[in-house]
Amino acid sequence: MNNPADNAPVQKAGATEESRTSLTALLTDLSFWADWASVVGLVGLVIVFGIAQPIFLSVANLQALLLAAAILVVLATGQTFVVATSGIDLSLAAAVMLGAIVLGLVHAAGWGIFLACVLAVAATSAVGLLNGVLITVGKIPDFVVTLGTLSAITGLGLILSGGEPTMVGSPFLLKLTSGSFGPFGYPVWVAAGVVLAAHVALFHTRFGVHLLATGGQAESAHSLGIRTNRIKIAAYTISGFCAGIASLLLVARIGSAEPLINTSLLLNSVAAVVLGGVSLFGGRASILGPAIGALMLTALVNGLTLLSVSAFYQPLAVGAIVVLAALIMRYQR
Amino acid sequence: MSGEPSSEAILACKGLSKHFGGVRALSDVSFEARRGEVTAVIGDNGAGKSTLIRCLVGVNVPDDGEIFFDGRRHPFANPDEARKAGIETVHQNLSLIDELTVVQNLFLNREIVRRVGPLALLDRPAMKREARAMLSRLSINVPSVSARVRRLSGGQRQAISICRAVGSGAKVVVMDEPTAALGVQETANVEALIRRLREQAVSVVLVSHNFDQVRRLSDRIWVMRAGRVVATVQSAETTGNELVALVTGAA
Amino acid sequence: MRLFNHLIVGASLLAALPAYAQDGTKVAAIIKGLDNPFFQYMHQGIEEQAKAIGAAVTVQAAQNMGDATGQADKLTAMALQDFGCYLVNPISVSNLVQALVPVAQKKAPIVNIDSSIDPEQAKAAGFAVTTYIGTDNVAAGVLAGEEMLKLVPAGSKVALVAGIVGDVGSNARIKGFKQAVEGKLEVAVEVSADWDREKALTAATDILAAHPDLAGFFAANDIMALGIQRAVQTSGKDVKVIGLDGIVDALKSVAAGELSATVAQYPFVVGAMGVEACVAAAKGNTLPAKVDAPVLLINKDNAEASLKNFPRPGGDYPDPFGEMLK
Repeated sequence: MNNPADNAPVQKAGATEESRTSLTALLTDLSFWADWASVVGLVGLVIVFGIAQPIFLSVANLQALLLAAAILVVLATGQTFVVATSGIDLSLAAAVMLGAIVLGLVHAAGWGIFLACVLAVAATSAVGLLNGVLITVGKIPDFVVTLGTLSAITGLGLILSGGEPTMVGSPFLLKLTSGSFGPFGYPVWVAAGVVLAAHVALFHTRFGVHLLATGGQAESAHSLGIRTNRIKIAAYTISGFCAGIASLLLVARIGSAEPLINTSLLLNSVAAVVLGGVSLFGGRASILGPAIGALMLTALVNGLTLLSVSAFYQPLAVGAIVVLAALIMRYQR
Repeated sequence: MSGEPSSEAILACKGLSKHFGGVRALSDVSFEARRGEVTAVIGDNGAGKSTLIRCLVGVNVPDDGEIFFDGRRHPFANPDEARKAGIETVHQNLSLIDELTVVQNLFLNREIVRRVGPLALLDRPAMKREARAMLSRLSINVPSVSARVRRLSGGQRQAISICRAVGSGAKVVVMDEPTAALGVQETANVEALIRRLREQAVSVVLVSHNFDQVRRLSDRIWVMRAGRVVATVQSAETTGNELVALVTGAA
Repeated sequence: MRLFNHLIVGASLLAALPAYAQDGTKVAAIIKGLDNPFFQYMHQGIEEQAKAIGAAVTVQAAQNMGDATGQADKLTAMALQDFGCYLVNPISVSNLVQALVPVAQKKAPIVNIDSSIDPEQAKAAGFAVTTYIGTDNVAAGVLAGEEMLKLVPAGSKVALVAGIVGDVGSNARIKGFKQAVEGKLEVAVEVSADWDREKALTAATDILAAHPDLAGFFAANDIMALGIQRAVQTSGKDVKVIGLDGIVDALKSVAAGELSATVAQYPFVVGAMGVEACVAAAKGNTLPAKVDAPVLLINKDNAEASLKNFPRPGGDYPDPFGEMLK
């Protein structure tokens, strides 16, 4: 249990760093970039794309961009809770698929769209709960459990759906995806609501502090009487809940429930979390960061599409940016 | 096995035994820490000091014997119960959360909240105020109460652990090797802090390897060897050599 | 970060050049993916045909077959730009419907290729596709079935290996094959091997052991057929294997006398015809509502010729749009 850092010579942190205030010092300080990676990235992309292709900054495109980012923002928010406990939820995209299938089947069975939505969210939350219980009570590593549930719910989705897409022709969902309030579409408001609620939960409640403590040093947190297992289970359940919300937005957007998993949603959710300055080792998180990270990834693909860059280059660009962000993260204060 | 501990005892035990598998870690140990005093427990590695402490604060449940707290029989099933009763433990490393701020650490699991409608939201200004007050009461210096603990020195961290234990209104603060990982200057700072606790009449149980430190800080020293208490001495009346002899069994 | 942005701009300017370098109709194409040869040939067909007829084309694709929303997002972005025609190969029957609404509103022609858009949903959203060009999978299955009838004695046992359970394309191919052989051959067993070569090999090995008198296999794609062929070779039996798709490896295998036959579809032609249709529509022609892309049976007789022309068909094919552009 001996922590090598404790044996290190006295670190004169604090005082010296706070005296640095000049702009150049700030700009050459890597930790500044690390803390603001997603914002800097987003602003950079907006400037570059705005110059290269003026349509990028058109109101219609910005509205479309926000709409397109909504699903990823919701998923990145869910993933943030899990990553903050130093875990990872690999089953996120599969849970979205399951939620969509449940929604499609319940709706097709004529139980009404509201019940269908509620059951879809309940199903994905249950997946999250199961992940959390297996990881804490079962003491199985997070990536093994979520990889397992990824596969299991993929199968469950195929079994339930018979491998076939289900049309969901619901006026409510059509309204959800195409209607708008003020300048923004409903999905943007849904995502904003999720972000706001998550921010309050993480930074203004005891649960949030306990979550970060659990992610930072689970044993220490436990020794202070924090029920770390419950916290972790809650984090995975929140992730599942967000997957459920995302599945509603997804089905509304594409008009059908498909037994297909969009793996890029999973990768991008983790990427957005990393871009948002959330430590993969847990204990350090932000909600706005990942949300902006998700916006940035969406803006990247949108901008490259407007610039007619081949789809071949797009995953490469996303990957390079994520790895770069992860590198910069090492300099976080 | 009979009789209550003296009325001066805040935390005590009688006839405590504990074994792990075939290994007997404690046999028939009786111990008491007095109110407002610094009580030291010393002994070689494996002498049973840690097991004794772990039984007293509820981490381990003894096989046999009784634990008394604040004059009453009071067995603790887990550390949470002990903490709720008023026993705080400062562990060697296992205490602070690096990524949280000083305030967050000081108030971890006893955060101040205010109700806003159906929500219980953290009252961060109140916690900051309170944290500054707690730190200044014990003359602890940190760059900022909003600084992440990761950025603090080992001594500052230990001081904050101790401050947290005291700040929770603990009747007894148990410290397990509080200066083991610290440099000379930092050790001096933490020792000064322990003296201030004593001045403020906080009862302290101090486990240490460092005989000089124990003599400097404590009122009474309990010496353990091979799972038993072999001696109890007044710090003022003992010498380093005597303690070495007691610990090694050469006396 | 800054350096990286420079790189992106550099790369994007380079890539953007062809789209603006020429006059002529500007065509936006969005296809399902670029991660498999089928879509790569479709992509190639679109680009080469565009060059041939002087159209400027921009091709985008979904990240993967599950990226239904990502594909819609890209189409939404392209809909904001001044393309004269939109060529779409949707992931699902409905995922692009909403993104096509603004396209329809600015009255740009919508050419639907390969996978079809659900006409009902399109109608509900207030538009109809200008034309649909696709491959008739049932007809392809029928061709395979008819070839099997020539290869094995009447009443023989055959085994069918499908793709992923429930896949529409796989179902149609299997259905066509069954139609052709109904009452003439006995379908002894039908399994799914998820379009996967190794799974097909394992399944075929088991089937050969369970049915020693089996005369033939039909696989719903070439990849699986090649896996099955390997199993047949290992068993040392004379069992005919027919695949479907017409990928290079399968053509080579047919030419070498291993695979008995394959039914070739031409994604290259689907893409090429799509571009022609786009340009024809932009020039004011009225297009037929539905056009079938060619399917050809490839056996030892024409395998060499097919390989030489790959990814184009070995011979001529009906092309109503090409006529309009002459």
